[in-house]
Amino acid sequence: MLTTSPRRSRRTTVTVAAAAAVALLAGCSAGPGETSGGEFTGEYDGPAVTLSFWNGFTGGDGPFMQELVDQFNEEHENITVESNTMQWSDYYQRLPAAVTAGEGPDVGVMHFDQLGSNAARQVIMPLDDMAEQLELSADDFTEAVWDAGVYADERYGIPLDIHSLAMYYNTEHFEAAGITEPPTDAESFQAALDALQAAGYETPFWMPSRWPAHLMFLTLDWQHGGEPYAADGTAATFGDEAGVQSLEWMRSMVEQGYSPADVAQDAQYVAFKNGETSITWDGIWQFNDLDASGLPYAAAPIPAIGGEQAAWASSHQFFLPRQEDPDRINAAKVFIAWMSEHSADWAQAGMIPARQSVRDEGALEGTPQEPLAESLDAMRFIPTTPGIGTVQTETVEVAVAEGVLGQGEPAAVLEAAQGTATQLMEENLEAFGE
Amino acid sequence: MSTATAAPTPAPGQAPTPTPTSTASRRRPPRQRAGMWARWLVLVVIALLFISPLVFMLLTSFKTRADATSLPPQWLPEEWTLQAYESILGATATPVFTWFLNSMLAAALHAALVVVTATLAAYPLARMQFRGKGIVFGAVIATLLVPPVILIIPNYLIVSELGWLNSLMAVIVPTAASAFGVFLMRQFFLSLPPELEEAARLDGANPWSTFVHIILPLAKPAIATLALLAFLGNWNDFLWPVYVLFNPDVQTLPAGLATLQSANAVRYDLLMAGAVIASAPVLLLYVLLQRFIVEGVSRSGIKG
Amino acid sequence: MTSTNPAGVLPVAGRAPARRGLQSHGRATPWLFLAPYLLIFGGFVALPVVLGLWMSLHRWDYTLPRKPFVGLENYTDLLDPGSTTFGPFWQAMQATGVFMALSVPLLLVVPLLVAMLMNGRFPGRNFFRAVYFAPYVLGVAVVAVLWRYLLDTNIGLVNYYLELLGLPGDTAWLTSTIPAWTSLVGVTVWWTLGLNAVIYLAALQDIPADLYESARMDGANAWQQFWAVTLPGLRPVLMFVMINTIIASANMFGQSFLMTQGGPGRETRTAIYLIAEEGLRNFQMGSAAAMSYVLTVALVLLSVIVFWLFRERKEKES
Repeated sequence: MLTTSPRRSRRTTVTVAAAAAVALLAGCSAGPGETSGGEFTGEYDGPAVTLSFWNGFTGGDGPFMQELVDQFNEEHENITVESNTMQWSDYYQRLPAAVTAGEGPDVGVMHFDQLGSNAARQVIMPLDDMAEQLELSADDFTEAVWDAGVYADERYGIPLDIHSLAMYYNTEHFEAAGITEPPTDAESFQAALDALQAAGYETPFWMPSRWPAHLMFLTLDWQHGGEPYAADGTAATFGDEAGVQSLEWMRSMVEQGYSPADVAQDAQYVAFKNGETSITWDGIWQFNDLDASGLPYAAAPIPAIGGEQAAWASSHQFFLPRQEDPDRINAAKVFIAWMSEHSADWAQAGMIPARQSVRDEGALEGTPQEPLAESLDAMRFIPTTPGIGTVQTETVEVAVAEGVLGQGEPAAVLEAAQGTATQLMEENLEAFGE
Repeated sequence: MSTATAAPTPAPGQAPTPTPTSTASRRRPPRQRAGMWARWLVLVVIALLFISPLVFMLLTSFKTRADATSLPPQWLPEEWTLQAYESILGATATPVFTWFLNSMLAAALHAALVVVTATLAAYPLARMQFRGKGIVFGAVIATLLVPPVILIIPNYLIVSELGWLNSLMAVIVPTAASAFGVFLMRQFFLSLPPELEEAARLDGANPWSTFVHIILPLAKPAIATLALLAFLGNWNDFLWPVYVLFNPDVQTLPAGLATLQSANAVRYDLLMAGAVIASAPVLLLYVLLQRFIVEGVSRSGIKG
Repeated sequence: MTSTNPAGVLPVAGRAPARRGLQSHGRATPWLFLAPYLLIFGGFVALPVVLGLWMSLHRWDYTLPRKPFVGLENYTDLLDPGSTTFGPFWQAMQATGVFMALSVPLLLVVPLLVAMLMNGRFPGRNFFRAVYFAPYVLGVAVVAVLWRYLLDTNIGLVNYYLELLGLPGDTAWLTSTIPAWTSLVGVTVWWTLGLNAVIYLAALQDIPADLYESARMDGANAWQQFWAVTLPGLRPVLMFVMINTIIASANMFGQSFLMTQGGPGRETRTAIYLIAEEGLRNFQMGSAAAMSYVLTVALVLLSVIVFWLFRERKEKES
């Protein structure tokens, strides 16, 4: 929509732009948003508001979120929540820009590892008072998930769920190859691949070079006893022995012929759905999509290739964008509180609810992710240091792609990426430092 | 609509289906006639390379999801379905129809702004003597050589300060100072005989009314060309809208298609349906105005 | 009318033939005419050029309150192999260079061949002209999304037909470096061939037929006619097409963004792609501005070289 008529704005363009330039040059800046809307009471009885709710649930999880939003709108007369759904990659680019420009949402969901960046950028507000008010505490959450919402000793995120990588396999292929149990370690995984090849499935495990390849890499790194980043966010360590072994294993899948070379983006997933490949590792958010495709499949935890049971995991967390209007802030908090309590329904989207109490009430019973929830302790999270998202896209993702595609030796590409990553992290510490 | 039948209306006296036995070729010696055939064959092969991908795009948009990724690829859908269109047009995250309206509105307003500013600016540069003229014209010409990349980052900041991020204003105004437009219009004004204005001046008309009543009516073809080029340029602008428009409901078609692709990376049925929706209106417009558009563009390689 | 100045496209200010201007306007009149244009020009061309320079001297994170002055650090970093921007920037510059080196010659020559095929009076000429130009009207987003499908390694039509022809049918067109460049250049040629072809065609039709007649009288064969008549006749338009194609190729973004995402690793991430990511996704606007100035200087130099080349030829002939 046009904000102003072209004619009027033409007259003001230069003066405004000039004023803006002067303000910029003078070093003006907005102060940090200290307030988060006064005392949260859990109720909203202000004037009717329409809240803009940003999320990235573009996949099979989208309809479930929309159902929850619709239900919330029905139950709350004076609050209307409007969803704005976009791709996560666009989301993290647009959110800071939109909030800084005063065009941001009233409430949103983001991955825990983005909380640090956005808190440092003052895009989102602390929620400690709200967590207290809701009587949310670490007891009700897995420690890792609960801590993932904290940056610089303040809580910025209210956890909604946990989601991790899982192994999907084609049950028909497994049957044909005579495999009765899903593989659980390196040997049984290799044996399964050989059995599948012997049964005529030439490329049973397609190895992607793009998404989710770096998540597979992180998973393997943890399994080999590695830790991709220093916990305090000062250095990258994914290029050590554990990392090199992980990437070498990924590349070996191609070299041993279990995977075609140069798998295009998302091709491994399409191939799995088409029955061209037997096993794929992907996020548990794919359950609905796979169900809809009618493929005979099952899921299991990622086999402990590196010896230890571990899987990359992330968490969607609610946040409050920085804004001034106390009514809207309070209404948004009501929405978050309601959503947190109703997160059982969210399990239908393939996710694991973050709250122990919700899980204890049987939210996961009969869901395909139920067996995965048992290995919650094996789920690993990267640190929430500011800028970590960019560090990953610029370093790990590139190195993993190059390693899988055979464009460089795993040790060499990881070493180069690790150096760059450490440098970027140091620069981030400096830039985001208080 | 089908892209395959997008044949332009033949000119009067021209057979709609080209036949190699036209009078022109019959008068030619046999060797030349063979040359005609060979040329024809090459042109037809190239034309197929241009038409067939578009036909495949159209056919795929009527396929089911599984059909669109079938192996080996099939040209015709197993079963014709409107599923892809239904799910795209029904999705709130990808409001293709809104994108289309946004693109239309933005491109039309942008073209209007370019035409008005460039035409007004070109007239004194062609027809008046004043101090500073050389500097102004030099500055305009200099921007022809400055790649737009230099403006992206600072303009983002300016647009943000103006509160235009996430609004169509951001894709309409910043690129509207068209040096090419000023240049084109100035060339046109220079080609008009000065006697026109002389006569008007003797009748006591002021420069403004001379411009409006005498010059503008004559400039219609040049203005139409400029408007078309500005419209097309804005319609197809990609990088800038991807970064300055946040909400699905303010996006333009190219940026929207990128959203559609990232949201449905492997749903080729949806992507092709989106591409068809994005291209059908322009193709239709193009078929109707084909002569005019191509002439205008081909004449943009103006000579100094 | 033929060019009277060496530049061919751009008349040099002040050298334009003096015409009688209107004497009867007030001092403010020309400025009133110019005002709307100058407003937009000032706000969105002149101001950003200065503002960009200013930003490039700071660590200018759009979202952070602190924007410390760092002097020329953003520029020196681009020349320091130890910095975090050095690698990505020069890799991106190389990508832009590779793309230009591959696509500019093709986009100068292939459309000319097509235009010469179309140049003649034969039925259906306008139909062909319209068909070849159609992809340009569709725009980069439609074209890139369409070709990403056709070039899909496993289910794409391209590999399917290559296999039918007995060629290798498993080329990863978008995920391995050399095929990815081949795809990007090929798709770009497919997309913009029509634009250059119609410009050439218009110029070809302006070449007087009697020039060819007299060349034939002198016993010139087709090849000699091309060198003696066609190319000189195309010279003014050739430079316009060349500069245009160079600038368009240097600004290649959409094809890479949509088809290869800059991949396989970062090999096809062009300079403008990197600048957009660095400035508008990671909000490092200071270093992005510095990069855009370095790229601009390189492109301006290139344009000057093109001008000089054309000027050189002219002097040789006269």
